[in-house]
Amino acid sequence: MTDSLVLAFVIGVAFGFTLERAGLADAPKLARQFYLTDLTVFKVMFSALVTAMLGLFWLGRLGVVDVSAIYVPETFMAPQFLGGLVFGLGFVACGLCPGTSCVSAATGRLDGVAVIGGLFAGVVAMGFAVPAIAPFFTSGARGTFTIPDALHLPYGVVVFAVTLMALGGFMVAERIEARA
Amino acid sequence: MSTANIRTGRALAIIALMLGAAAPFAGSPYRSARGQVDVAGLAGMIAREEDHVTALELATWIHDRKSGLRIIDVREPAEFAAYQIPTAENVPLSQFRRLSVKPEETVVLYSGGGAHAAQAWVFIRAMGHRQVFFLASGLNEWIDEVMNPVASTPITRYFGGVARPEGSTSPSASTTADKVKQLRRRGC
Amino acid sequence: MALRAPQPYANPYVAGTCLGLVLLAAFVLTGRGLGASGAFAATSTSAVRAVAPEAAQTSPYFSRYLEADGRARPWHDWLVIEILGVVAGGLVSAVAAGRWRLTLARGRGVSPGARVTAAMGGGAAMGAGAVLARGCTSGQALTGGAMLSVGSWIFIAAAFGGAYAFARPLRALWSGRRVGGSTR
Repeated sequence: MTDSLVLAFVIGVAFGFTLERAGLADAPKLARQFYLTDLTVFKVMFSALVTAMLGLFWLGRLGVVDVSAIYVPETFMAPQFLGGLVFGLGFVACGLCPGTSCVSAATGRLDGVAVIGGLFAGVVAMGFAVPAIAPFFTSGARGTFTIPDALHLPYGVVVFAVTLMALGGFMVAERIEARA
Repeated sequence: MSTANIRTGRALAIIALMLGAAAPFAGSPYRSARGQVDVAGLAGMIAREEDHVTALELATWIHDRKSGLRIIDVREPAEFAAYQIPTAENVPLSQFRRLSVKPEETVVLYSGGGAHAAQAWVFIRAMGHRQVFFLASGLNEWIDEVMNPVASTPITRYFGGVARPEGSTSPSASTTADKVKQLRRRGC
Repeated sequence: MALRAPQPYANPYVAGTCLGLVLLAAFVLTGRGLGASGAFAATSTSAVRAVAPEAAQTSPYFSRYLEADGRARPWHDWLVIEILGVVAGGLVSAVAAGRWRLTLARGRGVSPGARVTAAMGGGAAMGAGAVLARGCTSGQALTGGAMLSVGSWIFIAAAFGGAYAFARPLRALWSGRRVGGSTR
């Protein structure tokens, strides 16, 4: 195995470990996010997002990291919107996402295994359907397209805005949970 | 959540808030935003003609599969799609912020006539890269010297080009777009 | 609807911050973020190739996961190795916390059959959605979100929006019987 694959494994271990620590291996707990009684999913996801975003911004600014060398997922506006909706439907139906389904299965939960089975079926089916929907599949293509680009705002301003939104969201989440 | 948890959460939130609030005043996180131009040094290189390569030199590099060679077309995507030098990649000037060059790469920039590529040369040198050149007269030179030269050479044939008709010594089309159209018409 | 779980999980903000640091480490050390659905795509490609090689090669979606010679090499795909790590990490954490249990996690009053069906159906929907969106909560929401990609944020909004929109109609999947007159 090459160095990069060893790193992939180590990073994966840290990823899976952290998810289980947060309780995200338990599907009913995850599902509670969407019934507004346990907002762990939101708190974990956005804490992670903000941490990585701030870290990347400052490491880039300090010259430690070359931000332009990091792969940014490409934007395909229409399929990512529809795909998101369908994904959300699946998420609330089964209570896990691809990453947490693997963590869940690893902890002995058989529903995690069932989700993994479903995931394969869905990927294969949609994968073969791609040629039939080719124009839609690549519609709204913008390549590497960031929010600072789209809104013509400085990167740091967007970073601050996202941080504020997340912190505000956390305060609202605490209030919602207190009432649950 | 327990009080200990809330206290930890608050501490993290304060750190995030400080880092986030400072961000708008910090400038750009991209390395390309902080180029340094050594004016005298670069001017000297330009005077000694160490800044550019000829189309034939570039053609030879491509043919010899020079290691680390990276040819960058700085025109807009539509122009790139119409015609590009083989193995070139498209990084329009408008997207230059995202360009990332490894130390072992040799970059050759080109544009239609060479002006934009020459400007891009200064930028990439300002970002600290040493192995950078540009095609002095751009795609015009490539077409006139390699693809559609006065007399056909092995290099011309390697790239699928064809010599100009007998008797004509000067290129017939004047703009890059016209030259490209001529190339297209000839194809088989 | 079931009440909050009593197990002592980690502080979600701390866990989230740690997860963010893992993602940041991935950015710095490998030049790419995290992912999960890509591993499913790569492994699916192997399976498809084993059963119907021409189908895999001619498919615009699956052919991207094949090596140049047309053979599938999922083991060499970064995401697959990463997912194996995820499984290992989850296992270690659960065992260490005494949370490993062979069980079918389901809401109160939900039959095992209904749960398994919902799990498979939900998984299939997520698989389809991930193909369309070129990623899932790990690759798009987390990674793309941290990099401020517009498409990723569209995905975040649509995924959360879709989940909340379908939550009410699907509540029977999580609670086999109504909890008094409560709306939760």
